[in-house]
Amino acid sequence: MTTSPIQLVDPTGADPGLINLDLAPRPSDLRGKRLGLLDNSKANSDVILYAIARILNEQYEFSDIFYAKKHSASLPPVPEIVADLHRHADIVIAGVGD
Amino acid sequence: MTTPNRSPLHQINNPSDAVDECFRRGWTDGLPVVPPTVERVQQMLDYMGLAPDHILGEVPVRRRVLTAEQAAANSVMAGCLPEYFPVVLATMQALFDHDPNCIHELSAVTNSVGVLMLINGPIRHKLGLNCTDNLFSPGNRANATIGRAIRLILINVFEQRPGVLDRGCMGSLGKHGVCFGEDEENSPWEPFHVSQGFQPEDSTVTVASIQDPEMLGNRYGATGESLMDSIAEGMASHGLAVYFGRDIKWFWIVGHWHSELLGRLGWDRPAMQKYLQERAFRSRAQLKQLGYIRGDVEPGDHDARVYAADHPEDILIVKAGGNSGIYSELIMNYYGLIATTSKINDPHP
Repeated sequence: MTTSPIQLVDPTGADPGLINLDLAPRPSDLRGKRLGLLDNSKANSDVILYAIARILNEQYEFSDIFYAKKHSASLPPVPEIVADLHRHADIVIAGVGD
Repeated sequence: MTTPNRSPLHQINNPSDAVDECFRRGWTDGLPVVPPTVERVQQMLDYMGLAPDHILGEVPVRRRVLTAEQAAANSVMAGCLPEYFPVVLATMQALFDHDPNCIHELSAVTNSVGVLMLINGPIRHKLGLNCTDNLFSPGNRANATIGRAIRLILINVFEQRPGVLDRGCMGSLGKHGVCFGEDEENSPWEPFHVSQGFQPEDSTVTVASIQDPEMLGNRYGATGESLMDSIAEGMASHGLAVYFGRDIKWFWIVGHWHSELLGRLGWDRPAMQKYLQERAFRSRAQLKQLGYIRGDVEPGDHDARVYAADHPEDILIVKAGGNSGIYSELIMNYYGLIATTSKINDPHP
């Protein structure tokens, strides 16, 4: 018995591929800069971020420490948070705590 | 002619190899699938009158779109009939409308959540949806395959594969699919979708991201208070109490004999919602002792109440399930899509 070939429709999503993103300019010196902390909203994320900030602050004497928190650990920060960080911070530390 | 949004085709010379080919390509949830042939996918699209490259939505954070053709192919693979397709599409639309990134959130979260689909209205009868015995069991084509179609879309289109973008820790039985109808005909209350502002003749799907259901068996309580005290106790002791006070809801799937008792005693939805909301809480001290809230117990924590639901209307009461025993089901809805009800667009009702 012979059978005819069949065609299957690929059910997978199209690979979005890689995109090139430009890094923000690196500061040449951290001294006196405004430090931003981006809390991913997990428990203890603030604890570890502030601990890091405290240690770095001893060395670099930041002019300000600005804290922001994502509304969900699983989602990107909303545009308002990103804008706040742009406005209030020269450098940002983001991290996960749990 | 192909467009950027058309799916590639793969020729299989021997049709009897098609199921294994789907496994080989990683297209399944671990179970065999119906091969998504061009003809079967076209039938699905024809039912809705959709062009294959029609874009249903996009998940920006993953930079992936869902086309009608992809949704149809995954629905075919799940075993759906074309007349089930409107429910699949309405469910995906609810997710896109809420926040398209919530589709990513469903899998990024290490807590494991499935997608619940509660169906109301006349489409339940047309599709032969189970609303009663063995509500959450395998055994009924519409229930099993509609829920599975959503999971296959998440796996295949949005790469929510375990170990890849699905970061669930314990995983979830609900990820096989949770689709059921309300037993409107045997309910003492108005249909759930009517309580949400829809007309009885509307067909709707209520979509929610959920933790695995928990069966509750108050078999000997003879009053509504006894029954609801046990439900409130279940809500208060639910495993992820850490989420108390956040934006969460609860489904109380009221089993047949529980609803019969409550209806006979004159309990209506608002009264039950109020009763439950007021009684489902733990003290902040208990939640700290149980490790659900960070920190040491402080003065005032013993008297501070943390409620399982912020508002009475956050407790969604639905009548469904069989009459062989005296049970209800409690389901926590959180993280991703908080329950939302929308109309199903069926072009051939």
